[in-house]
Amino acid sequence: MTQAVSKQSAAERLFTLTCCLMAAPVIGLSKRDIFASVSSYAQQASEMAKEKMFDRDKTALRDMGVALEVLDSLSFEEGDTARYRIARGSFSWPKDFVINAEHLALLELAAKAWNNQLLSKSAHSGLTRLKSLGVMQTSRELSIFTPRLLAQHDSFAPLADAIANSNMVAFEYRKPDSEQAVREVSPLKLRFIEGQWVLLAKQGTQIKNFLLRRIISKVTSLDNASKPVSDEEVAQAEAELADFVSNNKAVLEVEQDTEAWWHFGGPEGSQVEIHFMDEALLAEDLMEFGSEVRVVSPESLATRIRSGLEKVVQVHA
Amino acid sequence: MPKQELDSEELFNLALSIVGLVLRDGPMQVKELSEHFGFSEKTIVKAVKTIANSEDIGRFETHFYVDEELLDEGEVDFSAGRSALSEPPVLSKRQTTSLAAGLDFLAALPQFSQNSALAQVREIIGSGTEPITDLGLNEDQQRLEPLRSAILNKQQIVAQYVNQLGQKSSRAIDPLRIDFIGRRHYLRGWCHLKQELRSFRLDRIIDIEVTDQEITKQGSSATIPEEVFGALSTELTVEITASSEASEIFWNFPSFDLKKDANGSTTGKIQVGNLQALGRHVSRYGGEVVVLAPQSAREAVSEFAKLAMTGYDGPGDED
Repeated sequence: MTQAVSKQSAAERLFTLTCCLMAAPVIGLSKRDIFASVSSYAQQASEMAKEKMFDRDKTALRDMGVALEVLDSLSFEEGDTARYRIARGSFSWPKDFVINAEHLALLELAAKAWNNQLLSKSAHSGLTRLKSLGVMQTSRELSIFTPRLLAQHDSFAPLADAIANSNMVAFEYRKPDSEQAVREVSPLKLRFIEGQWVLLAKQGTQIKNFLLRRIISKVTSLDNASKPVSDEEVAQAEAELADFVSNNKAVLEVEQDTEAWWHFGGPEGSQVEIHFMDEALLAEDLMEFGSEVRVVSPESLATRIRSGLEKVVQVHA
Repeated sequence: MPKQELDSEELFNLALSIVGLVLRDGPMQVKELSEHFGFSEKTIVKAVKTIANSEDIGRFETHFYVDEELLDEGEVDFSAGRSALSEPPVLSKRQTTSLAAGLDFLAALPQFSQNSALAQVREIIGSGTEPITDLGLNEDQQRLEPLRSAILNKQQIVAQYVNQLGQKSSRAIDPLRIDFIGRRHYLRGWCHLKQELRSFRLDRIIDIEVTDQEITKQGSSATIPEEVFGALSTELTVEITASSEASEIFWNFPSFDLKKDANGSTTGKIQVGNLQALGRHVSRYGGEVVVLAPQSAREAVSEFAKLAMTGYDGPGDED
């Protein structure tokens, strides 16, 4: 054991490793260089223990956004001749990004929204990283809001990971009024629309929207890399969904002075017209108002609600 | 807000971030860093020591020199030895994805829909500036504005409120915070009538009058619990089963004893304030949620659905 150096914590080891790799010459460092430079490795009893520790650390670095590169002129695989370095330029922010107090307050809210679930840890560590861009006064204006996400869908984290790693996924999906089926898709984006989490993904040649609550199996990550999709294609798919929503109209009759009536803004007459993304979801929202709302059109929505309520009565008979 | 102890990856992350900040802006107080990053002073010192203990033992060289004496006095300063590390790395994909999803969520809320700073951040963090479909909560917007100014100016309000049972009352409230939980806004405030902290659903507030009276001492000294659900005074435990798609019902109540079967259905217990409100929560899922016990709860749900069906019995074109 080297006398001058006390035992390093795991965080110290990761930090030293990062510094050594950053200071490395262009050709990178060999594993042997690394094991000789970072005291935690030097202190390991066996080669195998060093290797294991290094493998864990490589994953930790990559998880934390450090772009570790492996170079090997002799082999396509990561062998003993491999050399390691951190990609130049991976340690810089977009040049024109000037962060201000309001940006930071919003990012703080975005991280807090996770409320200790799922991606909370990544969101908070990302926020910490962003805070290195400067100290500023926090804004009281925004501190009065505390939005909380309820995204406890089991599929959320694996889908977010697949998006990050650009790989395809498979899951079983059930649309209302049809059988469940396995879908193999390239996930692109998770979006929050009308109170629902929606996955934007490429299936075959088409970009489609999937409601997370209708994914009824585990999400399996496939070995295939996801299909490349241009920003234009994504923008187009998003615009199509917005068009679709604005063309979906329902007319409702609302009983005056009831909660439903206030919910729809206390309309002058008894009728309101609304737009919706998904008829089955709208039916749920309307069934909650019970007898306070009656659907005038479309007929399909009225039928859906009637049969939904019949089923409720039936299973509680 | 000081948090619990960090794990080693998070501490490493914090150390990288402190390096970036101090090299950029110069020496800083531990106290200042603690407030900025939202971690305890002890955690900040620990992260700084992580930076100090980064010697390359192969070359006997140090990456950073930390002034330990200054650190004991509460100041953080260090100079780069042979380090090439001058800025923390950009965000990992997972960090970006989680922040982007959080920002998307904010963008869907009416109080942020016109926020230009949010649009700027979303452009950089990768979710784009395209407006996403909003939550259809535009009605809340009219209530949010007076509430926001009342909270910031510490003014009492008088609200006309309709509770879960449809009963209307006039409440004097010290407004404290606005939460958005799941899909609804709640005003959290000190209720003068009940003499306790209460949550009020915004869509049930039908009128708001902002008074010129300052909020009371009880209101300004009250701590709002982070808990989404407060303790209910009249609680009833109800056993339910929900299909995979309807299992989100468990997120809306304090719930326990949850079990998932092979088909993806979840069975468990929830605590509800009253049976009438249960009817609507269960009926919305059109039979995908079934109340198992007690019998009184099953009957309440059935009654609610039967009453709701009356609107659909007629021919539809009746005069």
